[in-house]
Amino acid sequence: MPEIVFDGVEKSYGSVRVLPPLDLTLHDGEFTVLVGPSGCGKSTTLRILAGLETLSGGEIYFDGKPISALEPKERDIAMVFQDYALYPHMNIARNMSFALRLAKTPKAEIDAKVQRVADMLNIGHLLARKPAELSGGQRQRVAMGRALVRDAGTFLFDEPLSNLDAKLRGKMRTELAEMRDSIEKNMVYVTHDQVEAMTLGDRIVVMNEGVVQQQGTPEELFKEPRNLFVAGFIGSPSMNFMEGALVDIGGEMHVQGAGFDLPLDATTRTRLDTATDRNVTVGIRPSSFTTDTSGATVELRVIVAEYLGAQSVLVTKLGKTELLVETQSTAPFKSGVTQSFGVNTDEIMLFDRSTGLRL
Amino acid sequence: MAAQTHTRQHPAFYAILVMLIFMAVGPIVLMLINSFKLDVDIISGTGGLLFLPTIQNYETALCDVLPYELDHLDFCALKFGGAFVNSLIIALVSTLLTLIIGCMAAYALVRFRFMGRDVASVSTLMLRMVPPAVLLVPVFGLWNNEFCLDRDGLLGGAIRDTFGGRGDVCLAGTHSGIILIYVAMNLPFVIWILQSFIVQVPRQLEEAARMDGAGPFQVFFLVVLPLIKPGLAAAAIFTFRIAWNEYLLASALSDRDTKTVPILIVNNMSEFNVEWGVIMATGMLLAIPPIVFTLFASRQIITGMTAGAVKG
Repeated sequence: MPEIVFDGVEKSYGSVRVLPPLDLTLHDGEFTVLVGPSGCGKSTTLRILAGLETLSGGEIYFDGKPISALEPKERDIAMVFQDYALYPHMNIARNMSFALRLAKTPKAEIDAKVQRVADMLNIGHLLARKPAELSGGQRQRVAMGRALVRDAGTFLFDEPLSNLDAKLRGKMRTELAEMRDSIEKNMVYVTHDQVEAMTLGDRIVVMNEGVVQQQGTPEELFKEPRNLFVAGFIGSPSMNFMEGALVDIGGEMHVQGAGFDLPLDATTRTRLDTATDRNVTVGIRPSSFTTDTSGATVELRVIVAEYLGAQSVLVTKLGKTELLVETQSTAPFKSGVTQSFGVNTDEIMLFDRSTGLRL
Repeated sequence: MAAQTHTRQHPAFYAILVMLIFMAVGPIVLMLINSFKLDVDIISGTGGLLFLPTIQNYETALCDVLPYELDHLDFCALKFGGAFVNSLIIALVSTLLTLIIGCMAAYALVRFRFMGRDVASVSTLMLRMVPPAVLLVPVFGLWNNEFCLDRDGLLGGAIRDTFGGRGDVCLAGTHSGIILIYVAMNLPFVIWILQSFIVQVPRQLEEAARMDGAGPFQVFFLVVLPLIKPGLAAAAIFTFRIAWNEYLLASALSDRDTKTVPILIVNNMSEFNVEWGVIMATGMLLAIPPIVFTLFASRQIITGMTAGAVKG
């Protein structure tokens, strides 16, 4: 299980650069999730790591050894594809044993390994069937089984759950999380779904336009996003942004904007070294609003109340800005009513309007 | 699930169906019936179905391979058996070669990026547009004069010593000469058919195979080839049929020993005597291999071979 280091890895197709120089370290035995919107270069990164794409510059090291010149099969990597990529003319057992058969593994050993992995994934009864006879979830398991049978040092997952329906995806996510804990391997997982990223990753790497925005544990990314992009991408429902300005009111620092005036708490104040009259972007998570109006409040007009069960998400308007508010469903909200909401001021995040960096 | 029911159609519908069947099957039935008649019965035109069936025509046609002497024949002029074997060798070998070369060429044209790929792709099909008759003269000249081994040379001498004959060893008049031109003639179309099948093989499958440790040839033979079986079968039927039926090139490029069946049948018609019965019998025999081959090959054509490869 190697430590994988990307050192200035680049990728261009002709004059189109899809991946600017990328530096990244994937630690031994870690479950790393590459997450970002479509076209952010996360899949390209994975495919370069797998050896399916050549790199245009830089180098990848496995435990200090450069590997960019190696064929995929020489890299000790197994991969689960987004569309499963099962061989349709082989039955499940032969699909799973394909790599072992190519490696001329003794037949008894192949059978034992396939059986063990099939039992682990609950697909033991499907071994004689063809992929076409399987449901989506079963195919997904087979695709995973095919990778697991190989016992490779590193596992790559390229959006493996994106073709499943919501319920099945949740189930498979749980199973993956279990697998992550039981198998001590390097795993690199690519997804555009931040929920998958948050629930599965030991470490999450947020990418946008080929650039790593931030990496860290799920909690770090949620609580301490480094910039606007990460703050907006991580968390569901996503963070609200408003234009505002920092002003000094009687020695207290406030952030003001159209229709709101919120005091900042002591820690945020010390973070912002000086500068009043600075234009900022104010970020407030939907969960930072409360129905307790004893502290700082804002007046919000409820447009739609989305009832989700125990919780509701309110789509509200402050002036022309749309804000999402997450509340308990106990108190019913009527559409079109303007109402006061409390704000946990210690959870307010401020971003530089020009650079997008967190202040 | 409701039981499948056929709604009753207008009687004219059945009439058209019967007519179509008659048009398709009629000539073959006629040929079959006449192949069991003596020439006298055929020409006399009396009573279509009332006759004494005989296998004499078939005996005449197969006189060179039958193990017994024929009473009605003094001399076995028709070498149908030999021609039949020639036809089989030429059709099968040329089909096999065309498929092997064709599938690899098609794969390269679809999957690999190289200079002149599109030019190669289009020019192969343009070659197909040239009528065989145009090719005939130059090929005849080349096969007779250019592609020859000196009879005093090492290989040429060995061939002459083994098989006899006079003159230099040339491609003209050999099985190889005919096979070669058939392969060249059929290859463009086969490449084009197979290209469309290979395009449908999901690239992810090949990538998965590469990740599983397969080299380029293993990817091709273990993953791609089994998936384009329907395409191979279609191409095989096409190639075999053309090679089996081809008359023009074979008539010029074959000699007495390498004659194919279509040429033999035409040779059987002269201005003095058309042996209808024998022609019908050889026609029936000629029809059997393509039918058998097509039935065998079409079993491989199962639609939806790639179903279940990707997505749900």
